[in-house]
Amino acid sequence: MTAKMSLGIDAEELASCVACGLCLPHCPTFRVTGEEWASPRGRINAMRQVQDQGAAIDQAFFSSMDSCVQCRGCEPACPSGVPFGSMMEATQAALARKRRGDWRRWGFRVLGRRRLLNLLSRVLAVAQRLRLVPSKRLGLPRIPFRQDRLRASGNDVWMFTGCVMDAWQRSTHAAVKRVVESAGVGVALSGPGAACCGALSLHAGLESHAHALAARTMEALAGSAPILVDSAGCGAVLKDYGKLVGTPEAEVFSQRVMDVHEWLATRPDLLPPAGEQGRDLTVAVHDPCHLRHVQRAHQPVAEVLARYATVVALDDDGLCCGAGGAYAAMQPELAASIRERKLEAIGRSGAEIVASANPGCTIHLANAGVTVRHPLEIVDEILDEKLDQASDDDR
Amino acid sequence: MKLLKASRKDPLLRDLRRVLPPDRVRVAPLERSIMGRDASIFEGGQAGPVCFPISTEEVQDCVDAARRHGRAVVPRGAGTGLAGGAVPLEEPVVVVTTKMNRLLSVDADQAVAWVQPGMINLDLSRALAPYGLHFAPDPSSQQVCSLGGNVGTNAGGPHCLALGVTSAHVLAVEVVLMSGEAVVLGDPDGWGPGLDLRGAYVGSEGMLGITTAIAVRLTPNPPAVQTLLLAFDSVDEAAQTVSAVIADGIVPAAIEMMDKNIIWAVENFVGAGFPLDAAAVVIVEVDGLPGGVAAEADRVAELALERGGRVRRAADDHERALIWKGRKSAFGAIAQIKPNYYLHDTVVPRTRLAEVMNQVYEIVEEHDLQVMNVFHAGDGNLHPLLLYDRREPGVMERVHAAGSAIIEASLAVGGVLSGEHGIGIEKRDFMPLMFSDADLDAQARLRRAFDPDEMANPGKVLPTGASCADVNTLGKVPEGVWG
Repeated sequence: MTAKMSLGIDAEELASCVACGLCLPHCPTFRVTGEEWASPRGRINAMRQVQDQGAAIDQAFFSSMDSCVQCRGCEPACPSGVPFGSMMEATQAALARKRRGDWRRWGFRVLGRRRLLNLLSRVLAVAQRLRLVPSKRLGLPRIPFRQDRLRASGNDVWMFTGCVMDAWQRSTHAAVKRVVESAGVGVALSGPGAACCGALSLHAGLESHAHALAARTMEALAGSAPILVDSAGCGAVLKDYGKLVGTPEAEVFSQRVMDVHEWLATRPDLLPPAGEQGRDLTVAVHDPCHLRHVQRAHQPVAEVLARYATVVALDDDGLCCGAGGAYAAMQPELAASIRERKLEAIGRSGAEIVASANPGCTIHLANAGVTVRHPLEIVDEILDEKLDQASDDDR
Repeated sequence: MKLLKASRKDPLLRDLRRVLPPDRVRVAPLERSIMGRDASIFEGGQAGPVCFPISTEEVQDCVDAARRHGRAVVPRGAGTGLAGGAVPLEEPVVVVTTKMNRLLSVDADQAVAWVQPGMINLDLSRALAPYGLHFAPDPSSQQVCSLGGNVGTNAGGPHCLALGVTSAHVLAVEVVLMSGEAVVLGDPDGWGPGLDLRGAYVGSEGMLGITTAIAVRLTPNPPAVQTLLLAFDSVDEAAQTVSAVIADGIVPAAIEMMDKNIIWAVENFVGAGFPLDAAAVVIVEVDGLPGGVAAEADRVAELALERGGRVRRAADDHERALIWKGRKSAFGAIAQIKPNYYLHDTVVPRTRLAEVMNQVYEIVEEHDLQVMNVFHAGDGNLHPLLLYDRREPGVMERVHAAGSAIIEASLAVGGVLSGEHGIGIEKRDFMPLMFSDADLDAQARLRRAFDPDEMANPGKVLPTGASCADVNTLGKVPEGVWG
């Protein structure tokens, strides 16, 4: 596996790192290995050697790039604003063209096919119950065999339901939908047309597949209603369609996309008032990387939650938990070491429950025994108890 | 030829892998080549096997193996050095200490902690927060730089103005010498008998041995802190205010200056509200007991106002943190303007600050370059950053010529070569400008007292010909090392 080639990284972007090293402590893989090849600075250095100096793409280069979680924690840490994520996406696209027999090439195609995904999910659910699947090692949650259908309640806002999350965690969508509806709006569902945002394909370097999914998603979510997203990873990519697809329509589409907490936080008057129940509950907020580092919109999660519960922040500067989409399955050892640091931070927080606005993080943390829910699942439960109590009072 | 054979039959590699697990001895061309640089101007150093020991014993084993095969050893921490001190020359064994990152013990009563060299400076202070203590030296890179590197360069930082640089906060060091022996220099109680070998070791830039543990002196967190951001319409007014504060008998915890160009780049990153219309800003921090702090802050504000300054006080910890984040991100923010920098580190008498800064501006204009200044004004430690794009033909010659002129201008007013970044490769050949042959020979002899064969980080600090002996292992900086 050695051949000389350009990685297709923008030359100005590649030149833009001064190698100061301030990104290093914000990189989860550098934090757990202490090795330069597993740091943003080292990876940029390696990209330069390949693209600028004609070094071979060898096993060490693959390891350096594939060990990156693509959390983009290095980006807000960089005083020069080096666009590391974009450079890594270009590199992964170049590497994808060289990879032979990568299961992701066909595996991720399933994500855009709702019926096939549902069918395979059922098979997987059965296999799990027969203990035929090493779920934890593969980073899988317990997959439900049956799920209740979600029904639209209006068309004030779109709710993007996505692929795996809808197949495996639809109950989360249901809770999010109830909370949004409690603010007095009707929710339209993205449905099978917008089957997948394309994030996983993009991160694996499968650009053309990601583009095709983006085109379908934009077509399915027509109109001008805001598009609310309850998965940080999906939201980050949907907000980036303007750059990914590169058309004015895509730019307009991206501007309609909001993380659901962002939308709720700007409508505090519409949210149901807080009762007393949640006050006893201490929730630690885990900031998903693609909400904090990429969308830079993590504050609203705490703002919304704080209306209903006691919120504590983790003291680890938003370091990644190691989930990273398919990362936990591809790099199980590094993913577990990275998670270990997160578990320590959660332990120090003293919270009994962790809120995470990204399905990947939720699964990854739950597999280590953490009690973790989507923030709006927690809100939904608190509101639900309150409703129960209100109806008790009526009697 | 020392060129490392890729084959597993390489005898040095075989020996290293006998003492360290294979995944902690890296030899792939890429893994070695990315070790070829640190945060300095130098690129293209050449590393041999890259070792990641986790204990003193493993460091000893690495050194033993290197010695058996006549190979030099270069220690490396986080690789944030600015003088090329950790850049490997001629394929030495590189011993990286990042995996030795534990806090070994804390004695809060005696205010002493033992730490491993790979621990990150800021991580130590964070770990000490429950005790109300911290490690005072706070280089701009403190969120990433390692304590071993701090010891190696005798690092400074904004808060070293009142409290002294690293050497004042290191009580003892455990060192693996090139003989493979581990020794402790100094005494954690601070009262060791005999010569102060610890003092000789701190700042020796990896040329006496490899640090494997450090007893650091801890400083109580101040009960009150006030941070002022002073803005001026001229560098002269800013410099005069700095002198006036010190002359008034105030010793602030820190006094930092930034000029117009760097203010823009930094503000663009942190959004701390740095005034973009100012020619220079001065950050002054005073700490201590609340009453004294308030009085000193008022006096500093008064002195600034008298000299035409504008005064802003940080209202809370958040604002204070943002101001410092801006200051400490300065070097890294450079790529917003140019992709490369050459950072200088000269020290000049405080009273000559404005004069030398004006000379720096002239020198840079003469060489058709851009410069930014961000520095420790309180102790006259200048950090002119020359900005350039190395892809531009002929630019390196101009950068080096301007760099030499800046150093000469600083020395001419009674300044010194380096305040805190060290000499490394960067300033090595400037050493004779500051030291006589006798001085340099004395330093070379001190070095050989620890390391007779000059196998620890060769080619750094001492210029070729400085030593009377014929054991110079390196003639000159190999081609390609200068950017």
